[in-house]
Amino acid sequence: MSLEAEPHLIGVVLALCVLAAITATLYWMLHPPTTKAEQAAREAQTELAEMLGSVIIIFSKEIHSEHMTALAVRIARRERAQLLAAYIIEVPLTLPLRAQMEEEERYALGVLATAEAIARQKGVEITTETIKARQVSQGALDLAKRHDAHMIVLGSYREGKYSGAPLGRAIENISAAAECDVLIGVQGRKAVVQQPARVAPEQISY
Amino acid sequence: MSTTSVSMKAAGDQPELRRSVTAWGSFAWGYSDVGADIFVGLGLVLGAAAGASNVAFLFAGLVYVCVGLAYTELAAAYPVAGGGQYFVFRGLGDIFGFIAGWAVLLDFTIDIVLFAWSCIDYLSKLLPVLAFTTHPWTHFAVVFLVIVGLATLNVIGVRESSAFNEIVSGLDVVSETAILFFGFLFAFRPEILIHTMSTSWPSTFNLMNGVSLAIISFVGLESISQAAQETQRPASVIPRTSISLILTILIFALAYSNLALGMQPWHPIPLDAHGHPQALWQYLGSEDNNGAAVQVLASLVPYYGAIAALYVPLLGAILLLISSNSGVFGSSRIAYAMSRAQLLPSIFQRVHSKFRTPAVSIAIFCGFAALELLFAALPSLSKYFNGVYAKFFHGENGITFLGDLYAFGAAASYSFVFLALISLRLNDPDSPRKFKMPLNIPMRYKGRRVEFPVVAVIGFLGIGSILVFTMITHAIGRIAGPSWLLIGVICYLIYRKRKGYPVFRSRPHDWRAQQMKILQEAGELELMDEYVANVKASDARAAAATQSPS
Repeated sequence: MSLEAEPHLIGVVLALCVLAAITATLYWMLHPPTTKAEQAAREAQTELAEMLGSVIIIFSKEIHSEHMTALAVRIARRERAQLLAAYIIEVPLTLPLRAQMEEEERYALGVLATAEAIARQKGVEITTETIKARQVSQGALDLAKRHDAHMIVLGSYREGKYSGAPLGRAIENISAAAECDVLIGVQGRKAVVQQPARVAPEQISY
Repeated sequence: MSTTSVSMKAAGDQPELRRSVTAWGSFAWGYSDVGADIFVGLGLVLGAAAGASNVAFLFAGLVYVCVGLAYTELAAAYPVAGGGQYFVFRGLGDIFGFIAGWAVLLDFTIDIVLFAWSCIDYLSKLLPVLAFTTHPWTHFAVVFLVIVGLATLNVIGVRESSAFNEIVSGLDVVSETAILFFGFLFAFRPEILIHTMSTSWPSTFNLMNGVSLAIISFVGLESISQAAQETQRPASVIPRTSISLILTILIFALAYSNLALGMQPWHPIPLDAHGHPQALWQYLGSEDNNGAAVQVLASLVPYYGAIAALYVPLLGAILLLISSNSGVFGSSRIAYAMSRAQLLPSIFQRVHSKFRTPAVSIAIFCGFAALELLFAALPSLSKYFNGVYAKFFHGENGITFLGDLYAFGAAASYSFVFLALISLRLNDPDSPRKFKMPLNIPMRYKGRRVEFPVVAVIGFLGIGSILVFTMITHAIGRIAGPSWLLIGVICYLIYRKRKGYPVFRSRPHDWRAQQMKILQEAGELELMDEYVANVKASDARAAAATQSPS
């Protein structure tokens, strides 16, 4: 047998007071003031988020960024940045800028297809582009400027001996003149360079 | 459950504790201890203070606020494991550090048995064969087995994980808030509250008894201080978690007591043993229900009570079991810390060769707990002892017996903490205090500017009065409590004399170096810089003062 249960105004007020007091107390407890170290960490996170609006991965004959693609994709996914993979073909001065360079263009398609596959696997949207330029470094810098890039990702082999530009001349020039952050990854000694997928040009969608 | 052990580095090194306890984790440490108190305290206070139970909780609650503020200030300034015992040791010296620690140990041993007892009381609501009143031997045997089980688990290094603590605490906060919310919403009648308070106001003696029992609903804030060394950013986090815990427990205690006095129960209350009708508070405070009053109250809340009746016994039992376990863990840890400080013999430092846990301490204090269980249960187990208790102890037995001793231990140790806080304010003004109790009087002491804590004096008087109430109203607390302290002090004096340590004075301590290490290990680097600056300024002032007279 159950008795009558009718809310009383004072009871309702007290019920709400208990609920509000407990909620407010726990909320206050779980939001302590931050320390200087925590503030610095938070600012760094904000800067990183702002910084990574767009990320460009550069490939060329001299710049082997294949092993950096997966990392660039992860960064882009986590920071929700736009990702662009560009292969830059260096056209000699003896040829017109729009000259056909079939072998290298075919190679570029393979590299970019691999980059696209990596990005697709991780569910990241990527745009790819093949560019012809007189100098790889200038082409990369122009591209970065055109896309207002926040980070350029470059990959290099580890050179066994000092050659004046151990990372390669193009990488040195880009990192020296770029107006955005440059992330250079040097292939580890035991690593195997990713080979571009052998894809027929007609299978590649842009 | 997770496996942890106190890992020892090279001899003489302190074991290093990882700072992994978050703000919620710190709150949960305290809540799993203090939160369980209301499950025990509500029925006891209703049984003693009747229509003034809310007043008893209010008085004890105000004292508890002062106690909480004192612990908050001290734990934030000295974030080390040890809690009240360490504060008194540092503030008042070795012998008082021992007495405070010994009183805390009394509380911890009672904590083990009281909460194990109440845990079985709550389970008995689901399994009537465990009920104390109808099956005292079964109840006694099961509580004893719980104590043995907890001791074994602690020896082999298994205890509840922080995550488990956090989940249970979270569930309980939600559950208790829900019980109170629906209770007030559907069943609270102010006219019943006024009627109960006016017609069932207790005698002064019973009110004092109620106040002294109400303080047991607020014991365990110590746990936050105990975990200070494992808490992330302790100086910032501990004040918040402590104050939140104080407020949460105070809200629960005041709300429960007012609800119990002014609630229109959803189901009719059964007649008492003599066939007379009884009020809700009488029903909750009766011997049948005083060990599981929250569960009974929850089951009488309209609508929600049907759900609460199913899970509250289990949730309450788990929380009480955690609280009981914290007694086992806390007592061994305090004894270990006291032994390292040469306040107890080195046997308490001995760790198990395989499990690396303070097995001797665990065995000794669980042994004390088992003894207390025996004393508490004797009158129900034997008619002869029932007569003896009726003659000498006003018939106090069972959970009331344990509640008496618990109140004594808590009041005694809290009194020393207030004195330690005053002493540390006067003698160690250089230590940065990220949180200070309110109401301070600026003054000069030994040529230095200090702030005298008025609230500490108010708190000391409050807890002192509760200690006096305990001595006046509890025959057992009056005899067993002081006897425990006296035996401890005698053992301490003998130990110190035999070891050649100063008996009444303190051994030399380099508190400055220790404080630097504490703050460095706490990761409170800004406070450490402030401490260094304070110390330098203090030394410069002292040097200037010695030169200026010439």
